[in-house]
Amino acid sequence: MAMAEQLIDGSIIEACQQGDRAAFQLLFETYKDKVFSIAVYSSDGDRALADDVTQQIFLKLFTAIRQFRGDSEFTTWLYRLVVNACLDERRRRKRWLPLGETVTMSNPGEKKPQEKHYARLEVAEAVRAAIGELKPKFRLPILLKYIEGLSYEEIATVMGCSKGTVASRLNRGHSQLAKRLSHLNNPSTWGE
Amino acid sequence: MFSRHVTKDISAYCHGELSNEDSKRFAEHIISCARCRSEFEEIKLGIKLAEQLPQLSAPDHLWRELERLLAKQAETVVASRPTFWTWRVQVTAAAALVLIAGMVGLWIYNSRTPSVRTMKPSWQVKRLDGTPRIGSERISNSGQLAIGEWLETDGSSRAQIAVSSIGNVEIDENTRVRLLETHDTEHRLELARGKMSARIWAPPRLFFVDTPSAVAADLGCAYTLEVDDRGASLLRVTSGWVALQLKDRESMVPAGAACETRPGIGPGTPYFEDSPAAFREALKRVDFDNDAAVRSAALTVMLNEARPRDTLTLWHLLARVNGDDRVRVYDKMAAFVPPPPGVTREGILRLDQQMLETWRHALESMWIGGGGGKMMLKPVADAYWRTKYGLSRRLKEMMPK
Repeated sequence: MAMAEQLIDGSIIEACQQGDRAAFQLLFETYKDKVFSIAVYSSDGDRALADDVTQQIFLKLFTAIRQFRGDSEFTTWLYRLVVNACLDERRRRKRWLPLGETVTMSNPGEKKPQEKHYARLEVAEAVRAAIGELKPKFRLPILLKYIEGLSYEEIATVMGCSKGTVASRLNRGHSQLAKRLSHLNNPSTWGE
Repeated sequence: MFSRHVTKDISAYCHGELSNEDSKRFAEHIISCARCRSEFEEIKLGIKLAEQLPQLSAPDHLWRELERLLAKQAETVVASRPTFWTWRVQVTAAAALVLIAGMVGLWIYNSRTPSVRTMKPSWQVKRLDGTPRIGSERISNSGQLAIGEWLETDGSSRAQIAVSSIGNVEIDENTRVRLLETHDTEHRLELARGKMSARIWAPPRLFFVDTPSAVAADLGCAYTLEVDDRGASLLRVTSGWVALQLKDRESMVPAGAACETRPGIGPGTPYFEDSPAAFREALKRVDFDNDAAVRSAALTVMLNEARPRDTLTLWHLLARVNGDDRVRVYDKMAAFVPPPPGVTREGILRLDQQMLETWRHALESMWIGGGGGKMMLKPVADAYWRTKYGLSRRLKEMMPK
């Protein structure tokens, strides 16, 4: 667990439950990047859409946090909220997006990488795109593992499935990533 | 080798999610199963790729917009509540702000203390004798070796390192090692000087040791590695296989064999430790002497002294000597074990890769079946060799530029 996440203890959650805006801002600052990352990767790189999804998740969190009773870890509860919001958004878009529409990952405001990291960032970009092509059931365990750093047990709790299913989906996800990006399996790609 | 396939456990193994018993079963199976090993390689690539997935930064305007939306919600609530409630919320918020400021301060303070070191990937170190040091700190019974840190022993101290969950390394007296890398697909130590003994039960190509004159890649084995003050090293393998490489020069060393390395040259030719002393002395000159005449004369001694099992050395020498010397090596080997069908004198002399491999295959039972080293089942040895060219490629990728 990251140091910042360790700051979110029972007293902060309690303060949020009592409507404390400062406590909620701390909660937001702690989790915003992780939540936003999952939202971006789950919306095929559409950052505007990810902005909306992230806002909706935190609004919902602010309202629903009064119902959090501490029966499970707060992070598990939060990520379940995130996963459900991303799946809902995907289902909604599936109904409205014309077939074949693709959205490119673009972020003009992002800082330009230093030269020596350029190759690695290109790989990251290719991985982002390949992740976007995975089915949600393979993509979400990967995001929870690599963005959130959850264990298999925690992923299983968030996704409401068994540890074995998590292991199997991660296997399939890794395998599909490797197949789609096999052309990157050479030293020059990694800037070595 | 007849155990059930382990493909469904590959990701869990790489993420350290299997029990010790299952990890051991996994490692034992994968060494002898080409199918599982092939999938292991693919999934390792998938993991390496997924690890590149960056965490993105949420845009700054998100909180402002969220605050506006929250304020809208709050307006309705506040309008319907008595004044003392607003006052109470403000007092609670002020108290929470003080609390948060305190906690943030504590976090900043903590982030500057050495305790954060334990947050970085690290290996556990156990003191065996004396007082080994990690950096400038002496360890009494145990300590943590984080990436980039040196573990050093003096003339009276020794230590043992637990290499993640894949094995352990004993560090002898007067030794200096540094942890360079530890993650799911690669564990890497640097041995600057001294002696270490490694016992690794992971699948091939997970554990590497950088020395000043070569990289040692574990292929599922036990071995000792010594580096002297000049940067030369000596590898002695007690079970399995170890690969040594510097740039294009590579030696595959089986159990019972040893191999020396020299700075600027890389690994010499592997030899069985029970080979005749004159053979070993002559090999040193063939490998490292600058004078071509001395090398050629030493080769004559070697060929006179060689036993059939020393075809391990001769086979490696084929690609390292030229012209007449290569012809002499070929003739000696052919006298011991005639080339199998499909392997021709001309093909071997022009270093046809396929023919060299076929002949090696025919010779291998002699290399792994005798001597002082632990005997290895032939299919397992085959599996090691099948990884050879993949390994060679990977090692080249990892060599310092």
